Amino acid sequence: MIKSDIEAQKILCTHCGLLFDEVDEVCNRCGADLHQRKDNSLVKTFLFAISSLIFLIPANLLPIMVVTSLGNKDPGTIMGGVIYFFHHGAYGIGAVIFIASIAVPAFKLSVLFYLLYIVYWNKTQKAYGAMKYYRIISFIGKWSMLDIFVVALMVAMVQFKNLATINTGEAALAFALAVVMTMIATESFDPRLLWDKREKK
Amino acid sequence: MDTACKECGALVAQPAVDREHQYYCPRCDAMLYRSGQEFHYIILMALSSIILFFPAILLPILTLNIAGMEQSTTLVEAVWSFFGDGYTFIAVLVLLSGIIIPFLMLTLILMILIPIHYGVSPRKVATLFNLYEHLTEWSMGEVYLISILVAIIKLQKMAMLIIGEGFFLFIAFLITMYITMVWFNPHDIWHQQKSDDD
Ligand SMILES: [Zn+2]
Ligand SMILES: [Zn+2]
Repeated sequence: MIKSDIEAQKILCTHCGLLFDEVDEVCNRCGADLHQRKDNSLVKTFLFAISSLIFLIPANLLPIMVVTSLGNKDPGTIMGGVIYFFHHGAYGIGAVIFIASIAVPAFKLSVLFYLLYIVYWNKTQKAYGAMKYYRIISFIGKWSMLDIFVVALMVAMVQFKNLATINTGEAALAFALAVVMTMIATESFDPRLLWDKREKK
Repeated sequence: MDTACKECGALVAQPAVDREHQYYCPRCDAMLYRSGQEFHYIILMALSSIILFFPAILLPILTLNIAGMEQSTTLVEAVWSFFGDGYTFIAVLVLLSGIIIPFLMLTLILMILIPIHYGVSPRKVATLFNLYEHLTEWSMGEVYLISILVAIIKLQKMAMLIIGEGFFLFIAFLITMYITMVWFNPHDIWHQQKSDDD
């Protein structure tokens, strides 16, 4: 029967892997502070996930890039870019942008709320499956930044005075903030909470 | 039972640190021990990666030609373009995640391994090691690389496009950096100390 550190009244130093008694406060091997679980993990994860959700609204409604060619301003949204590529038969690139900018952020937030739900209602029997989702969102987290880097390159490359210029749109800021918030939310989440059985009161 | 799984909290036996086998948690399948490479190989790989870094960020990655006008950009200039548009926060964010943090990861590996190689106690570099772990997630060199490919596809319809040396050097930098990071197993640091004590 597998026992957890809490059941055995132990604390793990997550930095060097040494195990201590619950009364210890500092790791004597690497000097790190000992915490049995990440502090305020649920509250932090929840708040950062909510802020990310809020930033995603302007990120999708406002233009991410403004193309000016021969005096005509053409602001384009993220979804607009995806539709443009599908219209012109560039399905591969359309799919890459759609997955990185729309599907991945939506998936990450849904998983975060699902993890919070499992911990909050203490559904430990679902821990094994939830763990897989947790690992997926930790792994794909940074890829949502893809479109921001693309905008940076487009703005840097297309500066041909009267002929054509590209400038940053407001959505770039909102989107970057949304990505950072989800990454912090994922980092704040302590996956060990999924497995901790709580006594019913 | 002398350690616990970082990801689920289950008590598990301390995995044998033999640089050959990988060990997984019996309850949640988390990797408990990843086999790494000898320290001096990692140091050499990190150094070659650092050498590739500077020309990669300073040489042009792309040159665009529209009606006789030419415009080229380097990795640093590209992320800095947000600054010109007044978006300082994104400029700093992409500069950090796309360029500075990948470089910092390699510098940290050297700052951790070189002193240990010369017999300094790992405890003295423990802070650097914690920083390394925190930064891993924010190192986005590979995301930047794929974004260059996306930009190439977007731009090729507009004008003639020339791919510069910076682009190929950046790929070489990312490959050597990736190998360094795979070879570097932070837990070997503490094992090294153990065997010294014996
Ligand atoms: Zn420790
Ligand atoms: Zn585990």
